[in-house]
Amino acid sequence: MKNSKKMKTILAALAIGVISMVAINGCKAPESIAAKSGAQLWAENCNRCHNAPDPHTFSDDQWDVAAEHMRQKALLTDTEITKIRDFLKSAN
Amino acid sequence: MITAIAFITAGLLLASGGNKLCAQKDTAVPFVNSPQGGGEKMLLAGEIYTTWQNTKINAFQGMPTVKENSFGSDPNFPLGLMLMPLIKLNDRLFIDVQVQVTAGVGAGLNEAIIYYRVNPYMSVFAGNFQPRSGIYEGIMDDFTNRYASAPIGMNIGVATESGIGIQGGIQCGYSKLGYQLYVANGPQLTVDSTGAQNGQVSYGNYTDNNTNKAVGGELCLLPFSNSSLELGVSGQYTPKTGNTGSPFESISNTTYAAYINYYHVFNPIMVRLQGQYEHTQTDNFNLYTNSADTAMLFKSFDNQISGWYLGLTLRPSGSQKQFISNLELGARIGALTPPADALWGGNPMNQTTICLTYWFTWKTPLNIAYDIYTQSGSPNVSVFSVRGMWFF
Repeated sequence: MKNSKKMKTILAALAIGVISMVAINGCKAPESIAAKSGAQLWAENCNRCHNAPDPHTFSDDQWDVAAEHMRQKALLTDTEITKIRDFLKSAN
Repeated sequence: MITAIAFITAGLLLASGGNKLCAQKDTAVPFVNSPQGGGEKMLLAGEIYTTWQNTKINAFQGMPTVKENSFGSDPNFPLGLMLMPLIKLNDRLFIDVQVQVTAGVGAGLNEAIIYYRVNPYMSVFAGNFQPRSGIYEGIMDDFTNRYASAPIGMNIGVATESGIGIQGGIQCGYSKLGYQLYVANGPQLTVDSTGAQNGQVSYGNYTDNNTNKAVGGELCLLPFSNSSLELGVSGQYTPKTGNTGSPFESISNTTYAAYINYYHVFNPIMVRLQGQYEHTQTDNFNLYTNSADTAMLFKSFDNQISGWYLGLTLRPSGSQKQFISNLELGARIGALTPPADALWGGNPMNQTTICLTYWFTWKTPLNIAYDIYTQSGSPNVSVFSVRGMWFF
C-alpha cells in the first residue's frame, strides 16, 4: 500500500510537471528552433551522451540504420533525427 | 459447432459461387504484405573491451594486506564483446538486438526489441528491453562511461524485462520532452530458505510467475533550447512479485530514479556533469519453515536499497594541441545503502573514482582509473585499472 501511494505521488508530480511545461512553452517550435541546421542539432544532441560522431564512420545506408537506433535510444524528436541523419549523409 | 460450420460453408459458397456481388473489376493481386516506405537495411554494431586491474585490500583487524592483479577478473571489469545487430525493416519498423559475450561467463541476450513508429511523436515497442531508469543503465554504461568502473550505487533497480510500451520525443516550445511508458513481466521475488538471497527480486524473466504485470515509465525534460541540460524521473510499480498461489504473491516492489545530465563548453573546456539517485523498495515479509508452521526461519527486514552517484569531467576540447584536446579527466563519488538486516545486505558502501581518458576516436577510449571503496566494518579496497574499449 505504501508503495502504491508513493507511485501515485510520483505520477501526480509528473503530470503536474508536464502540464506546467506545456502551459508555459506551448507545443509549437519557435522559429529559432525550427531553423536549426542538422549540423547544429548533431553537435548539440550527440554530445549529450557521447562525442559527436565523425560523419565518415558509416555509409549512407548505415547512417539510416544508426539514426533509427538513436531516435529510440535518446528519444530524439522526429525533426531532430531527420535533420541529423541528412547532415551526416551529406557530410559523409 | 453446427452454426459455425454453417456460416463458414455459406461464406465459401458466396465467395466462390460466381455471385455478381463478389465480382471485382481487377482480380490481379500483384503483391501482398509488401513492405512500405523503404527497403531493409542492416548495421552490425557493437563493442569489444578489455581491462587490466590491480586490486589492493588493506590490512584489517589482524588480516594482512592482500594484493592481486589480473585481466578482467572483476564482474565490473569484464573482458568481453557486445554485438548489436540493428535492422531497419522499412521506414516504420526497426529491430534492435544486443548480445553480450563475456569471457568466463558466456553469452547472453541483453535486448531484443522491435519498434513500430506510429507517428512523429510515438513509437510502440515490444520485446526484451532495458527500461529507461535514470541515465546510467543502458545509456552511460558502455563507451559513454567516462569513469571505466560502474558506479557502486547503480544496477540496483529496474533491469532487462519482457513487455510492451510506447516512447518518443516531443518539442514543446524551446524545451523538449522525452517519455516512455511500458507494461512488463516485472521483477520476481526470491524466497530463499537459506536466507542468502531472501527478499531480493530478479529481472530478465522471459515468463511471468503470476498474472500481474509491472507498470513503469520515464519522463525526461530538456528545458534549454541547446539540449545541454537533461533532467529525468522514472519509476516502476509491481503490485505482485511472488509466485501465484504462494503466501508471498502480493509482495509489491517499487523502484524509482532521478537523474541529471549536463554538458557545456566553457571555451576551451568542456564540462560534463552527471548524477543519479535510485531507490527500490520491496514489501517486508516473514519466512516460515512452511505455511502450517509457526517456526520462523527469517524475520522480516526493512527491504530498501538506495544508491547514488555524482560525476564531473573536464575535457580541454578547445585546445590547439590534439593530444591535449583528446584527454578527459573525471572524478566521481557514489554510495550504496543495502538493507542493513538482510544476510545479503550490510553497511553502506562508498566509492570514489578518478579517471583519465584518452579518446583515440570519438568512440574509442582508453581509461586509466583509480577507485577507492570504503565500508564500515570492512577493509578499504583500492583498484587501479586500465580499460580499452572499441565501439564499432
